[in-house]
Order: sequence, then structure tokens, then C-alpha cells
Amino acid sequence: MPAVELVGITKRFGDVVANDGIDLSIETGEIHAVVGENGAGKSTLMSVMYGVHQPDAGHVLRDGVRLRMRSPADAIAAGLGMVHQRLRLFPGLTVAENVVIGAEPTRRGVLDTAAASREVERLGELYGLRADPAARVGTLPVGVRQRVEILRALYRRARVLILDEPTAVLTPGEAARLFEVLRGVTGEGVSVVLVTHKLGEVLAASNRVTVLRGGRVTGRFATAETTAQELVVAMIGRSLAPRPLAPPGERAAGPYLLEVENVRVRGGEGPARVGGVSFGVRRGEIVGIAGVAGSGQRELLDVVTGLRTPDEGRVLLAGAPVRRGRDPRVAYVPEDRPGRATAPTMSLADNLLMGGQRERRFSRAAVRERARALVERFGVRAASLDEPISVLSGGNAQKAVLARELSGDRPLVVVEEPTQGVDVGAQEQIHALLAQARDEGRAVLLQSSELSELRALADRILVMFEGAIVAELSAEEAGEDRLGAAMTGAAG
Amino acid sequence: MNVVDLALVSATLTASAPVVFAALGGLLCQTAGVFNMALEGQLLWGAFSGVLFSHLTGSAWLGVVGAVVTTAVYALALSVPAVAFRADPVVVAVGVNLLALGLTAFLMRVLLGAGGVYTSPDLPGLPTFAKLGLDVPVLGPQSPLVPLAPLLVAVTAWWLARTRSGLRLRGVGGHPEAALSLGLGADRYRHVAVLGAGALCGLGGAQLALGNVTLFSEGMSAGRGWVAVVAVMLGGAWPWPVLAACLLFGAAEAFGFRLQGLGLPQQAADAAPYVITLLALVVAAATRGRRRLLEAS
Amino acid sequence: MNLTTRTAPLLAPVAALALTTLVMLATGVDPFLAYPALVRGAVGEGNLEYTVAAYVPVLGMALAFAIPLRTGELNLGGDGQLALGGVAAAAAALLVPLPPVLAVVFPLVVAALAGGLLAWVAAPLRARLGIPVIVTTLLLSPPGVALASYLARFPLAERGTGLAQTPVLPDASHLPALGESGYLTPALPVVALLTALWLYADAGTALGYEIRATGANREFARYGGVGVARLGAVTLATGGAVAGLVGGLVVLGPPYRFVDGALVAPGYTFTAIAAVLLATGRPVLVPFTSALLTVLQAGGQGMEREAGVPSQLTQIVQGLIIVIVAVLALARRRTAKKRPGGVTP
Repeated sequence: MPAVELVGITKRFGDVVANDGIDLSIETGEIHAVVGENGAGKSTLMSVMYGVHQPDAGHVLRDGVRLRMRSPADAIAAGLGMVHQRLRLFPGLTVAENVVIGAEPTRRGVLDTAAASREVERLGELYGLRADPAARVGTLPVGVRQRVEILRALYRRARVLILDEPTAVLTPGEAARLFEVLRGVTGEGVSVVLVTHKLGEVLAASNRVTVLRGGRVTGRFATAETTAQELVVAMIGRSLAPRPLAPPGERAAGPYLLEVENVRVRGGEGPARVGGVSFGVRRGEIVGIAGVAGSGQRELLDVVTGLRTPDEGRVLLAGAPVRRGRDPRVAYVPEDRPGRATAPTMSLADNLLMGGQRERRFSRAAVRERARALVERFGVRAASLDEPISVLSGGNAQKAVLARELSGDRPLVVVEEPTQGVDVGAQEQIHALLAQARDEGRAVLLQSSELSELRALADRILVMFEGAIVAELSAEEAGEDRLGAAMTGAAG
Repeated sequence: MNVVDLALVSATLTASAPVVFAALGGLLCQTAGVFNMALEGQLLWGAFSGVLFSHLTGSAWLGVVGAVVTTAVYALALSVPAVAFRADPVVVAVGVNLLALGLTAFLMRVLLGAGGVYTSPDLPGLPTFAKLGLDVPVLGPQSPLVPLAPLLVAVTAWWLARTRSGLRLRGVGGHPEAALSLGLGADRYRHVAVLGAGALCGLGGAQLALGNVTLFSEGMSAGRGWVAVVAVMLGGAWPWPVLAACLLFGAAEAFGFRLQGLGLPQQAADAAPYVITLLALVVAAATRGRRRLLEAS
Repeated sequence: MNLTTRTAPLLAPVAALALTTLVMLATGVDPFLAYPALVRGAVGEGNLEYTVAAYVPVLGMALAFAIPLRTGELNLGGDGQLALGGVAAAAAALLVPLPPVLAVVFPLVVAALAGGLLAWVAAPLRARLGIPVIVTTLLLSPPGVALASYLARFPLAERGTGLAQTPVLPDASHLPALGESGYLTPALPVVALLTALWLYADAGTALGYEIRATGANREFARYGGVGVARLGAVTLATGGAVAGLVGGLVVLGPPYRFVDGALVAPGYTFTAIAAVLLATGRPVLVPFTSALLTVLQAGGQGMEREAGVPSQLTQIVQGLIIVIVAVLALARRRTAKKRPGGVTP
């Protein structure tokens, strides 16, 4: 009998069918990977399994018994535990408090902190998940925090662990360590549901795979009997020819348009976020920036775009210093779409205007005219220019941001995570736009955590680790293995 | 140490007690993740209802009970919109404070038949320790509610650190989604925190109108609720530092009152608590860095 | 924009009045006596002119709150800015004798500067130290009122009367009367003009766009190269200046002197705040919501005179309006999120 079985799950959000009659069964003691592109319905399915969303049709069985799921509390009671992609920990509380909260040991009504600490240590030893019970979670590295969240689930006697994109925030070394832990856990009879879009992990760590596309199951495989190629076909519906996304143009020559000289950014406390970084980008080339999240990329790009003043060093654009605040010669597509790249409550037209509001005489008609032209030229699909931009899909919102930034005559293009939260179709268009910017003779600086994206687009890749550039690889040299090694500081 | 100094200590305790109650309520809400700027209005309602129930029942203690209960009920005006409907707590608080100002002034005229100030020889006030037979310096002239204030701070500190519900309240405020994913609905804790703050403001208001004096006057909270809001910011929502901030303001008020006796114009004494509060905030923000102050707000 | 938000400016006052009626019934006040008296008090014979005169400070204070609000900052210090502006205008008119016209313009400029300065202080404290504007403006308001009160009672006081007021200002500084009673002065067209200017700037200029963007998402505006700290300072100072100017306009009108408490006591500041919030983010509605609440406030005083019902009833209505609008405004955000395509995991 499967440990958990999802039967005919259908879940709609408005007109969007996120899950469409999905069946999924998880055996006891297996690692079951659930894969699919962004928007395939993985997260929704997990939310249904964990009681966050109630399905419009279908039900969940646990050891063959149908569950009544009104909230995560019911899932927890049934022995399910979830490790979210964005960890659900309390930074101000200790490890022990984080583990026991919601099911605290007490003695005569008072919290039994000693018992909580003992329990954390016992579980840590049993499953190989060491963490100091008295440490404040806010001070711990992310890999350890993730362990705390797993400990919490196990403390609550979870027999089925759901992990949502667990390696997104981890270094390759931490990821390897995580998979060791997961194998240890399954050895104790716990089942693991591993949600991911990274095929390498799937093939390395799982026993079985279920593939989702467009809210439906498009493939079920035993890992040992499948190949990456087969999984890709199931995921995207066609074979992924090694598409020459952007034929690396003739090697760009000539002087650097962007020159970054010995830039240093200090953090609030601790070591410098960016420690003495120098590089250059020429017209007509795309330079990629790789690195585990938090290696200093964000701070470096803030300096390059002029949003942040470096503590040391300087940034030159065509020989002149980058202007503080925001340099009009820089097109910049930030990663944080709702927080920085757009004002979600403002209209699409107003969002398309930012930066150009003082270019010509301001009038409502001119604003709309400009917006209409951009929407047409960049193929942004929107019902109305006057609706808030937040009603657009991720892909269309991102195209709107690119339209705004690429429309003017800005020689430097800085892009962070251009395809995050974007559907496959829009991804291709966005890649084409970046390649086009390069071909127009602009200098493009591309930061991405998708190594495949960097390899497909970049002429050169700079790898950052702990605030420094530790490697520079040409497009031909940049295999996943060499990139991965450099990203962990094992300079290659 | 001479008598004058002891009198100043005593006056400091008297002046800070209502602020301590209100700030403790603000601290609870902050811990639960609700920015409670309605302390001023709730303190005012507490003062009015304390006087009203004392007048109606002929007992100051029943006045206190009435203030605690009705101010907690009045706090629903913040908790329902801000917690259940997710309305902007700052805007709601602006409305709740204004509503308190209007309601108390209106009801004073309609129910107590007085405009501006209500006082009467028949209005029972809280007894002092001296009257209860404990005629010692500092504590003697105080009502029993005055030492209750720091006592409740101690209880709160212990409760937050060492009990199941205290831990959960801290969790709910720190990361509501995390709490939800553990099956701990944040809303329940937040409602309780806001209503608890209401009850505490009831105590504070009752002390203000039945302990510090025995009367109700229009707008008599006179900014103490705002001082409490700032005290929570200054103390980083930690019980003991918040108490310390409240005592500082109490001392400033007591000192200003004394200077007024020495010929300082009344307007300067009126402005002093606000100016000192703002200065303390500026100094704290400048020395502590803006990040931590913002975290507290 | 859905139905709830569109109707909020009507729905909220109706709901607030209904709740207030419950308060009346519970306390034994006859609504059938009170409401007709309220209406007569606002628009009845002889009262209408006074109501129109009261519209000036309410609309002016609405601007003082609304202008910084567009960048997302709450200016709750209107009382202090208003009182300081009033006393500054009186001081300027009394101390610097000037020929006609200048004798009006100069005190008004001084009034605007005084109010603007008091409000501006909040901007650097917000930008440099992260102290919320709402807290700073609130804390600075009572000292502003106290300073004005001190000046009117001591250095500028009218000798020999013992009243807390300045002497009557020189004739050259009196605003001319537009009506018979003298209550209608050029203050009305001045404030109307300022309102029109603001509405134009908000919707039709790059500056207005940058202000709106800052209010919608500060980081977005900063990223777009907008000087958000500078805009915060400019809008706060402008709001405070308008408040100060309103104080000056009132003082230069009848009874042509600064009377301690006369500017603050009617509660223009919070009436205006309720009016702006009632407009639910649509500036063109502000003149109308201000008019509505002015009628309510002016009528409240008539109601007290005529029916003996305390005028504080109008504060209850205003407070309820703010709370109800806060709840209704949210309905919009919630529906915007629910639209298909906008779903994020």
C-alpha cells in the first residue's frame, strides 16, 4: 500500500487550471521526484497534499485512508511534513524553539527547554542532522536552516517529507550533503517527495519520477530505467535539441564599454560583500555572472547600475563614471519584479513609463501612446494599458520590464534572473531579446542561477564566490562540472 | 537622599504607570506582528469608562473592571478591521483614536451631563497605599495599580520566554506564514494580543483617571498613548527596555511639572514630553542605526 | 476597480451614519430631532455662508494631508502646522507694517514658511534615521500648538485684556470681504486654485508621476532614478506650507487676529484626514469629500445649538468613516490579486 496517494486532484484558480486530474502515489521509504517546468503545477499539487489548498476535485489517501484536509494542521496530524523553498523558520527563535514550536514539551505548564534541546540532539544523531539547539536561527547559514526545518518535520513524527526545490538556495556541496541525509531518512522508513526542476538531482537521488506539464501528468518513470532525454521530452513536450540559442557572435573585440575597477562593498557586519572585483564588458558581448545566491552578485550589480555607491573602487561607462542614483545609459532588469522592477498597483502604462517621464512633454496621451508602442513592439499580452501590472502573467510582466528597459538607446544592459517565474514560451522570447541586444552592439551583463541559461547565452562567464570573482570561463569551457566547482570556491 | 528627591521618584512612578500599561499592550501587539497605533484612543476610552463605571457603581474597583472589559471590547474596532479584514492598521488606528475622542466627549455630555471636565466629590477614586495603612515613602501616595504595572512587565517577560503560548506569540509575529504552515493560525494570536492591549489600556486609563487624579477631562490621555508607541519602538519590543523607556518619560513629565511650579510657562511643560520623546527617538535611532529601529516598527 | 471601491465614498458615510444613529439611540438622543437640526445647521438660512467659510480650512488641510500621502507619508501634524502658520502670519502683520497687498502677501508667505518648516523636519528624520513620518509629525504637533499659544499669550498678547489673543491686525492686512458678513474672503478662491494646481500636477506632470510612483513602490521609484528622499521632503514641506497658509488665511480673515485655540479647536485637521481617506486614492474626489464632511462638521455645531445634541457626534462619524474606508479600500487590493494570471505560487 502506498504511504500517500493523491487521486484525481483538480485545482483551479479563477480560469487557470493549475492541476487537472492528477494521480500520484508515494511508496513507503522511497524518494519520489516530482518534476516539471515553472508553472507545470508542482507547487499547487504539493500545497494540496499539505492541506494549504483544498482541491476542487479528488482526494488524498494516507495508508489507504481518505484524509479530511482543511489546513496544514490536518496534514501534520496525518504524518506529513513540508520543507518549503522559502524556509518557514522564525529567525528570532533558537533552533530548539523552532523545532518544537506548535508541539512544545512542557513541565507543569512551563516550557521544558532542556527536553526540547535533548530531542533536537537525539533526532540529529538518529538522522545525521546536526544543529546546535541553542543557536539563533537567524545567524545560521542557509544549509543548516534547512536541516532545522527537516528536524522540525521529523520531530512532529512526519513519515512523509515533502521538499519543495530544496537545492535552490544550496551550494553543490550542501546539496550533496542534503541528499545523503535524505537517503538516511528513507532508510528509517520515511518517504520523501522531492519537487525540483533540476534533472541532475532527479537522476542522482530519486527512486521514481513523476513528470508534470500544464497541470497534468505526462510521464511516470523508474529512475533507473529512464534518461534525461526522456524526462525532458515529458517535461516540455518535445525533444530539446541542443538549440543554438544565440550563436556566439564573432568574438567581440575593442575596448571595454563597462569597466569595473577594484570595487569593494562592505556589509553591515562581517566580511565585505564584494571584495575588490574588477572586470570589463565590451560592446557586442554577453558576460554571464554565476554563483550561489548571496555570493555578492546583488551588491555588485547595484554598484554597476549606480544604485549603490561602492566603499572603494569605481565603475566607468564609456570612460565616464556611472552616475549615482540611476544612470540613464544603463538598462537594468532587476530580479525582484514586484519589489523593484515594477509598482504592482500602478497601471501597465505607468509601469512602462518609469525612466522616460522627463524625456518629452508629459501628458496622459503621450504616456499611453508610448505604452501602446512598447506593448506592440515587444509582444506584451495585456487586456488593457490601464489595468494594474500585477494582473499580468509572470512572462508578460517580465516582457513589459524588458520593453521599458531595452526601448531607449542604452548601451549597457544589466539583467538579473531574466526568466525566473516565466513560462517556457516567454523564456525563449526573452532570450532572443537579449541576444538581439548583443547583436545591436550593446554590452550585456547577465546574472543567472540557471547554468543552462548562462551557457546558452553568455560569451564569457564570471563565477562569484564569497564576494570575489574566482573564475572566468569561456562559453566552450563552461561545463556544469567546472562551473559547479568554481561556485563552491574550488577554483578551477 | 532628601525628601524632595523621594517625592520626585514617587511622581515619576505615578506619571509613568499609565504609559507602562499602554506600552505593554503595544509590546504584545508588536510581538504578534500588529503595529498598534491606537493606544492613545484606547487609553482615553479606558480613562472615560473607568470614571463612568466608578460613577455608576460607586466603586472605583468596579470602575477599573469596567474600564478593562469595555476597553478590550473597544479594541475590537482595531482588531476586526486590521486582523480579520487585513486593513492597514495605521489608517484604522487613526480612525479608532478619533472615534475615541468623539465618543468620550459625546458620552460625557450625554451620560455624565458635563462638558469639558467631569469631576464630583461623589466620584470614588482608587485608594492609596497610605490610606490602606501602608504609609511609606514613594509607595505611600500611589494606588495599588502603580506597582502592578512593573509587575505585569515582569510577568509578560516570563510568559513570552517560558510558556507555550508566549513562544507561539513570538513565532506568529516573526513569520506568520511559517506559523500557518505549522497549523498555528496567526489571526487568533493577533486578536488576543490586540484585545489584551485593549484590556491593558483599560488599566492604564483607569489609573490615569481614578489614580493619578479623580476626574475625566476631554482628551485627557494627552499623548501618553503616543509616548507608549515610541517606548515600544525604543525598547525594541523587549519588556524591560520598554519599561525603562516609559520610566524615562515619566521622569521627564514629573520633572517638567516641578519646573512649572518654579515659573516655567505651562506651554513649555505641555510641549516637553513630546519634545523629549522625539529627542530620545532621534538619539536612539542615530546610535542604533536605522535598520533596527525600523524592524521594531 | 470593482464596485466596492467605486462606491466606498458613498458607502462609508452611510454606514458610519447608521452606526452613529445606533449610538444616539443607545444613549437616548432622538435622531429625528438631531439630523434635521444638523442639516439646518449646515445649509439653513444664515448658516450656509459660515459653512462655505469652514470649507476653506477643511479643503486646505485636506491638501496638507493629501500631498505627502501621495508619496506614502502620513502627515498627522496638521494642528501644529496650522497654529504655527496662524501665529506667524499674525506676528508678521503686527511687527512689519507694509502697504496694502504686500501687507497681506507677506504674512501669508511667512505663514507658509512656518508650517512648511515644521512639517519638513520629519523628512530628514525619515530618510536618515528611519523614524516614521507619522510619528514625527504627531510628536511635533503639540509643541507647535504650544509655541503658538505661548506667543499669543505672552510676547504678542493684546495688553490689558487678559485674553489669550493678539491685538487686531492693521487694516492693510485684512482680507477683503466677498460677502456681506465678511466671512467669505479671497481665501476660498486661493485654496480652490491650490487644489486645482495640485490636481493638475498629480495627473498631468512628470513630478506628479514620480510622486505617485514613490507612493506605490518606493524601491521601484528609487530604481527608476527618482530622488525619493528629496520628493518626500518636498511633499512634506509643501503639505506643511499649505497648512501654514490656511492658518494665515484664517487669521487674516474675521476677527482679524490670532485667538489661541481658535484654529485647532474645530478639528479641521482630522476632518480633512477623514475626507482624504474617504476619497480612496482618487484626488479628484477630495474637494467633494471635503465638502461633505464640512457640511457634517458645520451642521454638528448647529445641531448642538438647536437640539442640544453634542457636536462631538461628528467626530464619531469621522472616526467611523476612516475605519470603514480602511476596510473597504482593502477589498480592491484583494480582488486585484485574485485575477487569473496574477496567481503566483
